[in-house]
Amino acid sequence: MSFPGAGLAKGLAVTLRTMTRKTVTAQYPDAQPSLPPRSRGVIALLEENCTVCMLCARECPDWCIYIDSHKETLPAADPNARARTRNVLDRFAIDFSLCMYCGICIEVCPFDALFWSPEFEYAETDILELTHERDRLREWMWTVPVPPALDPAAEEPKEIASARKAADKLAAAAAAALEQGGDAQ
Amino acid sequence: MSAAALLAATGPLDPAARSFLSPTGVEIVFLLVGIAVLGSAVVAVTTKQLVHAALWLVAALGGLAVEFLLLTAEFVAWVQVLIYLGSVVVLVLFGLMLTKAPIGRSPDADSKNRWVALVVALASAGTLVTLVVDAFRTSWIDLGAGGGSAAVTGASLFRTWVLPFEALSVLLLAALVGAIVLSRGAGRRVPAPRSGRIRAGRPVGSNGTVAQRAAAAPPAEAPETAPAEES
Amino acid sequence: MNLFDTVLRCVATLVVFLTLPLVIGQTEHKVMAHMQGRLGPMYAGGFHGWAQLIADGVKFAQKEDIVPAGADRRIFQLAPAVSLLPYLFVLLAIPVGPDGFVGQAIDAGLFFVLAVMGVGVIGKLMAGWASANKFSLLGGLRTAAQLMSYELPMVLAAASVAMAAGTLSLPGIVDAWQWYWIPWQIIGAFVFFTAGLAELQRPPFDMPVADSEIIFGAYTEYTGLRFALFLLSEYVGILVVSALTAVLFLGGWHGPLPDQLGWLWTLLKTFALAFVVIWLRVTYPRLREDQLMRFAWTVLIPLALVQLALTGIIKVAIS
Repeated sequence: MSFPGAGLAKGLAVTLRTMTRKTVTAQYPDAQPSLPPRSRGVIALLEENCTVCMLCARECPDWCIYIDSHKETLPAADPNARARTRNVLDRFAIDFSLCMYCGICIEVCPFDALFWSPEFEYAETDILELTHERDRLREWMWTVPVPPALDPAAEEPKEIASARKAADKLAAAAAAALEQGGDAQ
Repeated sequence: MSAAALLAATGPLDPAARSFLSPTGVEIVFLLVGIAVLGSAVVAVTTKQLVHAALWLVAALGGLAVEFLLLTAEFVAWVQVLIYLGSVVVLVLFGLMLTKAPIGRSPDADSKNRWVALVVALASAGTLVTLVVDAFRTSWIDLGAGGGSAAVTGASLFRTWVLPFEALSVLLLAALVGAIVLSRGAGRRVPAPRSGRIRAGRPVGSNGTVAQRAAAAPPAEAPETAPAEES
Repeated sequence: MNLFDTVLRCVATLVVFLTLPLVIGQTEHKVMAHMQGRLGPMYAGGFHGWAQLIADGVKFAQKEDIVPAGADRRIFQLAPAVSLLPYLFVLLAIPVGPDGFVGQAIDAGLFFVLAVMGVGVIGKLMAGWASANKFSLLGGLRTAAQLMSYELPMVLAAASVAMAAGTLSLPGIVDAWQWYWIPWQIIGAFVFFTAGLAELQRPPFDMPVADSEIIFGAYTEYTGLRFALFLLSEYVGILVVSALTAVLFLGGWHGPLPDQLGWLWTLLKTFALAFVVIWLRVTYPRLREDQLMRFAWTVLIPLALVQLALTGIIKVAIS
């Protein structure tokens, strides 16, 4: 059986205890926040990987990605071959005033040209200036963190598996050739 | 606070020839404050704006407290501020705000009894002034410091004037009882408010039969059927 | 007492009136923040935001002085002064140390203090009525109802101390104080402090300004300097109620140090009580209006009467 007013005293104790503890306030502009690795701060573009396939622009739910490109004809490497054409990126811009940070563009990009960056300090005073061009998007690539390591028992990534398979095959072929050569001698 | 107690506390009457033509600073201030009190009292009665009237009453009563102070009746002055400014006027303002006190003029602020009220006011003022003038004539009262202190006031109130004091408190008690009787009304029982349940609403999702039955029941039974839950 | 002495005392009171409430306000900022796991103001003035209230004052002074079109102009403008000035006069009468360390020793000081504090409420009523705003009017009504209910236990608790000391003078009461008054007058102290909180409209008794129900009560229409004056009056009120409780119930300047440092004790006790005021604000939610009334009439007033009877019995038994 508790005495009357025990609840009131308990409340006072709670506030007093909180006062003696360390505060949880983050002094943001003075101290940078430590963001989790998958923070969706801004979308960065690795334009070397971009093939102007337009998938990102088409999948974007609010049409905030602008892409311009032209076709360029490469001279044929071989006199017998046809001349190849290739897409050259002229403009890649994301309007962050429209972007809702769904990340679909990053998901659909088949060539790993788009990445999440935790960078978030790109506020502007004019809404028009929130459309960031490819140079700025490229700059943000430097802030993209290294992808997290795989789980210890995880399946090997496909590209590494296929590359290793090819390398194994090559090594096997080389070993076989070496053996044949040894036999010939 | 009686004049006799004041006299007893402050020393003998001195009807010596004091000139009324060379007033001291305190007397001048007393007179000016008196004029201000009179003025604000008149405005309080004549203004057409109800809340302004109450606030002018504040000014008049506050001025009266200053007059008490100038007469060295310190305790009475603070009681005046505590009771009249702090409580009575607040109660008046409370009442005005609860009822209709528009900003600006109230068209129905005038009472038909104003002339009767004026006559009563003049009569009582005349009586009081005559009484005081007749009682003191030209006698001069020296006001020593501490003449109206709490100790002196208390002594005279509870030694000399204890019977009128008690009679007054009985009168106030009677007024209190009367007010309670009036506010309770004549034999009409007000059902206790039920807290914590929705009044007369039908339960969510029902087809309304409950509400209909409740509405069909005679209203006099409602407070009895409903459990009167306090708190 | 010569003229210079009088002027000096008045100026000292004015300085106290203008600085200590700011100290309390800053303490409230910081204590409240830390009790809620925050830091509070950190930038104004450099070191832990010590100048935050000065910055606030500058901001308030720069704001436009708006009087609503439908308001009663003169009363609206007069209200902050009526609300603030009584506390200045009260400060004048509160003794800080022994041997006349007081703005102005008043014979019926206790009565003076309680009376003048009640006048400040008229300012809030004026503000509530003159704003031409329903919420302001509701705030004014609640203020009046609260004052009417809590004035009585406050005066009764103060009367108990006056009975124990046999004087109404505040320095006289502190002079008569003995250590055993603390257990003797503990109920009275509780009643006085609680009623004082209610009179200041501090949480948990802040229904008159309940911002989630009636915007900001009587102050809804106020802005700029006039609003700042209302805020200042609230913090001076904390100072006055804490100082009065310290003087009446905690023995003012009595303490282990020599009498020359008595003023330090008064200040220490006052600030400790001000801390409690802030602490209570952070801890408890707001009461409902009917709970407030019930608390005053069914708890505080009986308690005050019990204390009064106790004081009378013990006083008679001692003498």
